Amino acid sequence: MSEYIGIFVMFVLAGGIAGAMVVLGSTLGKKNPTPEKLAPFECGMEPFALPMGKLTVKFYLTAILFILFDVELVFLYPWAVVYRDLGFVGLAEMGVFLGVLMVGFVYAWDNGALDWR
Amino acid sequence: MNGVTIADLLLLIPELVLVGTALVLILLARRIRNAPVAATATVVAAVAAAALAAWAAPGAAETGFGGLIVADGYARFFKVLIAATLALTALFSAKSLEDARIPRAEYHVLLLLAATGMMLAASAVDLLTLYLGLELVTLCGYTLVGIRVDRPASNEAAIKYFLLGSFASGLLLYGISLTYGITGATDFAGIAAALAQRDAGSDPLLLAAIGLVAGGLAFKIAAVPFHAWAPDAYQGASAPVAGFLATGSKAAGLAALGRVVLVAFGPEAHTFSVILVVLAGLSIVVGSLVALPQTDMTRLLAYSSIAHAGFALLGFVAGTPEGVSATMTYACFYVFMTLGAFGVVIALGERGESLDGYRGLAAQRPMAAALMLLFLLSLAGIPPTAGFAAKFVVILSAVRSGHVVLAVLAVACSVVSAFVYMRIAVLMYMREPQAAAPERFPFAVSAALAVAALVTLIGGLIPGTFAAWAVAP
Repeated sequence: MSEYIGIFVMFVLAGGIAGAMVVLGSTLGKKNPTPEKLAPFECGMEPFALPMGKLTVKFYLTAILFILFDVELVFLYPWAVVYRDLGFVGLAEMGVFLGVLMVGFVYAWDNGALDWR
Repeated sequence: MNGVTIADLLLLIPELVLVGTALVLILLARRIRNAPVAATATVVAAVAAAALAAWAAPGAAETGFGGLIVADGYARFFKVLIAATLALTALFSAKSLEDARIPRAEYHVLLLLAATGMMLAASAVDLLTLYLGLELVTLCGYTLVGIRVDRPASNEAAIKYFLLGSFASGLLLYGISLTYGITGATDFAGIAAALAQRDAGSDPLLLAAIGLVAGGLAFKIAAVPFHAWAPDAYQGASAPVAGFLATGSKAAGLAALGRVVLVAFGPEAHTFSVILVVLAGLSIVVGSLVALPQTDMTRLLAYSSIAHAGFALLGFVAGTPEGVSATMTYACFYVFMTLGAFGVVIALGERGESLDGYRGLAAQRPMAAALMLLFLLSLAGIPPTAGFAAKFVVILSAVRSGHVVLAVLAVACSVVSAFVYMRIAVLMYMREPQAAAPERFPFAVSAALAVAALVTLIGGLIPGTFAAWAVAP
């Protein structure tokens, strides 16, 4: 534990000095606000609209379908690496896993998730 | 490590039945939208799962999946209880699914998967499997609470439940990781062995681990101070979902907590006991007192369920197998009496949701009022109902372990809560009706009410009936 004392002291000193500067500046300093002074300094142009704009909700459906296949891949890749050692049991287990995921995909398809209306 | 064998899968037969039914229902979801097929399939699957759990479980405990899952008497008890909860909820849902625009197949799939998670949590002997099971329950729970998409209150409740639920999952996971750091194991036997070898003396890291695990699990059973989500979630959800969460989710949480207290952290039972005493005492006091001013029936039952979570914890306080078996008895009776009370609320529809709706119910529907009275008496713990037998065993267990003050507190708060429940009885029997008589209950709802009432009565008249099955791990 004792070797960390130095880091702890540094944290306390850094926090103390930074805090003291902010507190002293705001309490002792002279305040004479003008609109120019209150404007955001060096922060670029004022935004005209929200950065994202409006996004159609259908993209969320696409994102969820993407996750379905993404999860599949996360497991398929390590499985493929050790495929030979697992043998038939490994193949059957992966079949069950893919089958369950495909049930979800079929459900989405069945309910029109793939129709871009 | 070998692959999964058939013997492993046989241990999970009840869960596999539920998952299989859920998968078939998902595939057929679009075709069975307007028929009670999904409800029937769910009830059949629940009965089959209960029968398989009761029949297939061997006398001795059998572990599988490399020591992640165990099939013993403890798991069997909770699996049958959870299957019963699932079946009764599916029956109760018949009415509210008619009224609200809820996709039927999807609703039942979520119920089935939540029940699977509960069963998994009951038979897990590894902290990560336990977490997996509980997380399956809460994930389905979030969706079930928010399934009435056209009602803003339902969405709000789902968001609240989700935010607090993920926070609690974080607590539990952090506790699990600290436990792994201290003991180098996630399986219960390994944790217990490592803890038993440690030299005496308190370790702040171990205290933090125990506190975090207890806190994460206390959220699942809605024990004070981890209860804030329950009233809002129950009120926003439709009444059958609220009943399912209040009973099934709580039973699963208790099952998980019982195994963790008794098996995994058995060598540290005294530390765990202190935390449980605080949780139990606070839950009983807050649950009973805050239920007093409620005017919304679901909120009232939510606070009642918080108080009951406290009572159930009284059994764990002792940290002995007898205490755990007392809590199991409590969980069993609690599930049926609470589901019964929720069932009457469901059957009365809109009218059942506010306390004023119960004015003069006895004059209009004497049978419904009598059933409600039975469940209320049981919730209050008045003989000869199951609620009395349940409270008796847990308070006795607390007294035997030397927690007399806690037991006195529990009895005192029991009196306070009796006032809460009897207020509804007074409204039903001694006031003039203000609303029109409710329509006839659907057959499914009546059948489920009858089952709940039967267990509540048998549990009260012959309390030993279920005690033989309530064996601690």
